Amino acid sequence: MNRLWWTQIKAVIRLELKKTFFAKRGLWIYAVAALPVALFVAYAIVMANHQHQSASIARQSQWALTRQDMLSIKAGMTKEEVIAILGKPPLDLQWTENRRVGPNATEQILREDFHYSDGLDNLYLGLQNGKVQNVMMEDANNFGQDAIMFAGVFQFFFLRLAIFFGCLGIFMNLFRGEVLDKSLHFYFLSPIRREVLMAGKFLAGLLATCTIFVTSEILQTVAFVWTFNPHVRDLYLYHHHGLEQAAIYVGVTVLACIGYGAFFLVAGMFFRNPIIPAAAILIWEGINPFLPAILKQFSVIYYLKSLCPVEIPVSPGTPSLFALLISNADPISPPLAIGGILAVAFIALFVSSVQVRRMEINYTTE
Amino acid sequence: MNDGIIFEDVSKFYGEILGVNRVNLSIPSGITGLVGPNGSGKTTLMNLMTGLVRPSRGRIQVLGIATDDSENLFRLVGYSTQFDAFPKGLTGFQFIYSYLCLTGTSQQEAERTAWQAIERVNLTDAASRKIAAYSKGMRQRIRLAQALAHNPKVLVLDEPLNGLDPLARSEMIALFRASAAAGCYVIISSHILHEVDVISDQVILLSNGYVVAEGQIQSVRNEIQEHPTQILIRCDRPRDLAAKLFQSEYMIEASIHNDGRGLLLKTRDADRFYLAMNQLALDGIQIESIAPADDDVLSVYEYLIGNEEVVR
Repeated sequence: MNRLWWTQIKAVIRLELKKTFFAKRGLWIYAVAALPVALFVAYAIVMANHQHQSASIARQSQWALTRQDMLSIKAGMTKEEVIAILGKPPLDLQWTENRRVGPNATEQILREDFHYSDGLDNLYLGLQNGKVQNVMMEDANNFGQDAIMFAGVFQFFFLRLAIFFGCLGIFMNLFRGEVLDKSLHFYFLSPIRREVLMAGKFLAGLLATCTIFVTSEILQTVAFVWTFNPHVRDLYLYHHHGLEQAAIYVGVTVLACIGYGAFFLVAGMFFRNPIIPAAAILIWEGINPFLPAILKQFSVIYYLKSLCPVEIPVSPGTPSLFALLISNADPISPPLAIGGILAVAFIALFVSSVQVRRMEINYTTE
Repeated sequence: MNDGIIFEDVSKFYGEILGVNRVNLSIPSGITGLVGPNGSGKTTLMNLMTGLVRPSRGRIQVLGIATDDSENLFRLVGYSTQFDAFPKGLTGFQFIYSYLCLTGTSQQEAERTAWQAIERVNLTDAASRKIAAYSKGMRQRIRLAQALAHNPKVLVLDEPLNGLDPLARSEMIALFRASAAAGCYVIISSHILHEVDVISDQVILLSNGYVVAEGQIQSVRNEIQEHPTQILIRCDRPRDLAAKLFQSEYMIEASIHNDGRGLLLKTRDADRFYLAMNQLALDGIQIESIAPADDDVLSVYEYLIGNEEVVR
């Protein structure tokens, strides 16, 4: 790339960023990006409150409990055995239940719920007539389950909806918005190659979307790990690939902005109404798991799914249609996925560059 | 290679609607006026020569550069369009400055040049205000500043005097003349004919997408045979003069001017008429002036196109 082109690209980026970052009509993109952050902040608040309750329950215990103490409780143990190990429950609930045992006979059942905590983990016991029937241990540091929850929000909301529609809002308007505002001639009257203009606009869109969505992604991660206490947080980040996963999520976010950005840039040149390409691309991305292998390669989500660090398990009993949507039946290696997404983006940008050369300023017919 | 602005058999259709058809032109340097009623194809012709629209047929070159080579074309061309929209949120200065940055000019140089261009159109005081708050005349001037900012060799100006007050008009006309005198190609469209008449070195008359005449206005007038040339003679005894002039075979009609001190006559051969007049004994009639009365754009326009949408 020669120096003049780069100077021109920087000039385009400066102009476009002013429009992209401070446009009133783009405020909803910030809202969409902020939504998962709000979700994880809310989750963090709930978890903090929960931990506060756990600590409070632990303080009310007759003696300091350990995780091992709580794990030693098994179904079938008597109430007395439980109290011998864990002491009197800080929180308990008792009620009686009448159960019909014959045509005219009922049996009275005494039910009790005990709640113990060591300050982090919680133990919930269900007793029937003085015997332990249900044991539920709630781990404070359930990395696996929390990571799956984070992955679910990332894949099914952030990637497929927030970034998708955010890119639609920003990239589709790069050219189409200027045609609607009747201001595209400003660029077309300058001594700049149309391809260079397109590259400048794409990079400006990319910079804007990456800033918005990477910031959102980082804030989500911060809010998410905030729920762990410092010791658990360190354990998660440095010994359970938490930091590595966070970096991968940021990378996938950037690649999603590149892929969807290129798709919507080209769509903005061909369509006046953004709903048509948005619906078409959304459906195309949605039906990706059902497409033949060759067609799968022309979608963005196909590559992004393979790059996501945590796979979402399919629960038994999930309908096969949903199971297919959730699982990644045909994963590819990360280098291939990155190469694939860049190739798809390159094809879209090539089509854009051909189209931008053909564009005419003819606002009256728009 | 520098051979003016060349249109070779250029046609432009918007779907089934004709923009311009079979245009063959060679526009030299100096000020060229594009004249025609609304919808005659003036803006289409300008958009074609600046590559904003592509011809459906034919070829256009501006100083040897194809119009689809925007990178090189707009180093030579400045275009002040009629489009009244600007990138949002920019001040007058930022508008020119951003444009210059797009040309690849360094930021420091762009700042200096932007102020120069703004000064040329007398908009310095308003330069730091948002364009959205500009009056129509100010928006017109900032567009002119954009077209002039990079000192182009070719200036294409679509109705550049619209919305300007008389003082600003004369300043802008002086600016166009200075550019033309410096060897630039200045192409101006207007439907205000007396302005085109005053400004232009040559004119292109358009009607319904066709070029109906082109060249210097006097030679265009001379080519219109079906309308006799009108000559206004200011003198003290117009009736006596009329009687004498009817002796010449070249005069076909005469009428006394409203103020009684002039004679408006029509001739099919002005040159021969002047020669014949020299040979007439005028018997002491005091001639103050003899001047053609219809070799201006307005008359030519009326003869060729009719009087629709003529603005005097």
